[in-house]
Amino acid sequence: MDPLGVTFLKALALCTVLLGAFAYMTLIERRLLGRMQHRYGPNRLGPFGLLQPIADAIKSVFKEDIVVSAADRFVYVLAPMISITFALAAFGAIPGGPAGSLFGFDPWIVDLDIGLLYVLAVTSIGVYGIFLGGWASNSKYPLLGSLRSSAQIISYELGLGLSVLSVIMIAGTLNLRAIVELNVWSVSPWLWPPLAVAFGAFVISAIAEVNRTPFDLPEAEQEIVAGYLTEYSSIKWALYQMAEYVNMMTASAFISTLFLGGYKGPTVLEPWIPGISDWPIVWLVAKMALFMFLFIWLRATLPRLRYDQLMRFGWVYLFEVALAAALVTGAVIAFVL
Amino acid sequence: MITFAVLAVVMVVGALGVVLLRQPVHAALSLVGTLLTLAVVFVTLQAHFLAAIQVIVYGGAIMVLFLFVIMLLNLKEEATKTRAAYRWVAYGVGVIAAAAIAVGALLDPRQAPDALAVSEALRGGSPELIAEVLFGEFMLAFQLVGVLLLTGMVGAVALVQRHNEPPRPGTPLADASRRDARGTR
Repeated sequence: MDPLGVTFLKALALCTVLLGAFAYMTLIERRLLGRMQHRYGPNRLGPFGLLQPIADAIKSVFKEDIVVSAADRFVYVLAPMISITFALAAFGAIPGGPAGSLFGFDPWIVDLDIGLLYVLAVTSIGVYGIFLGGWASNSKYPLLGSLRSSAQIISYELGLGLSVLSVIMIAGTLNLRAIVELNVWSVSPWLWPPLAVAFGAFVISAIAEVNRTPFDLPEAEQEIVAGYLTEYSSIKWALYQMAEYVNMMTASAFISTLFLGGYKGPTVLEPWIPGISDWPIVWLVAKMALFMFLFIWLRATLPRLRYDQLMRFGWVYLFEVALAAALVTGAVIAFVL
Repeated sequence: MITFAVLAVVMVVGALGVVLLRQPVHAALSLVGTLLTLAVVFVTLQAHFLAAIQVIVYGGAIMVLFLFVIMLLNLKEEATKTRAAYRWVAYGVGVIAAAAIAVGALLDPRQAPDALAVSEALRGGSPELIAEVLFGEFMLAFQLVGVLLLTGMVGAVALVQRHNEPPRPGTPLADASRRDARGTR
């Protein structure tokens, strides 16, 4: 346990880093999308467009902050704050390295025995931001966006929870550090098939939970203007964008932690550089980058699902597949091991 | 103790908000606040698992559905059609019930267990401890609650079923109902 002051500083540093990463993820995303769609993307401001996020930040701060006169004022202002607060809070439980590896301090903000549930709980509260924002705008497209968002998130939380169940059963703990230290894949090759299925189901559910293409129905711009974002401008709009990207990063880190060994590096490098697989932060960020790239890649590749396809996929396929993976994992643990 | 007092006040204010606020969404939000404050009370008792479950189940699932239904039906400020006399009866019953609870709590000879002892007994609110009790001692009750919830769900599905025969495929009615089922009304 670190002293309270250090924990506070770490939390402050984490928020700063996450928001800085958000600013540059927007640039990376636009540049990558440009590359994938055979065009340039923003490349005018500074070398490779590196100053673009700063210009964007200045622009969104100095834009007029409109509060719709028909809006429910209190909820309208509260909603983006809920989104960003819970998005940032969720990341705190994810361990960045072994105990005491960050200059003698622990590379995480809180270490909970129920770390896994903490992340699920905090992210599930974050969704209030989206659908309260849509409702409070008192306008039809935002309301449609929020209805879609709550239906989608309720539906895909089932897939998320069920696919996590396999990991919990194998690890026998809800502590994220213990899950990383155990490495669920090393328990038995018998568990590989259900784990692989659970991994796939989890990644898909996580993309749906963070509202990314092909699951970005709450803000589908061709159908409902910008969904829940329609009536938001200036810094409140920016807060929603921040929350979306921070949620993406939390999802990436969460997937890596549960299924891909989290902060652990490959041990094959140990003979050359001893201790490299225990370096804090580095490996987690590398794995997160992998998933962030995957999210952007999917956005450039897949068209958006229709609403009925979304519901059918979630309830008929994802739910059953994740349930089957959990049952098979349980059967293997009970009868084979 | 001070923490608990503050949380208790927040919870009671939240609960009053659920009843007194006119706008349904505000009332539901007030309920969300109450439930989340209860989760914080669990945290102060070191019952972390319960707190997380409280947030996930009540905050993340049930209240989202509540709000979903309220928004779907687009409920506005409730028109007060209830008669004033009824309202006074309701106030009276509420006050009497609250007084009865207060008197019962004050006259209860049992000593409230020490918070420290409680958190000791909860062993940091570990899920193992809860699992032992839930799937051991109270196994039957747990299963029965499960059956009860399933019955409720089946009942809800039965209530929204249409009673007429399924229309033959190809007829306009069939196409309409198919569109309906897809949710593209």
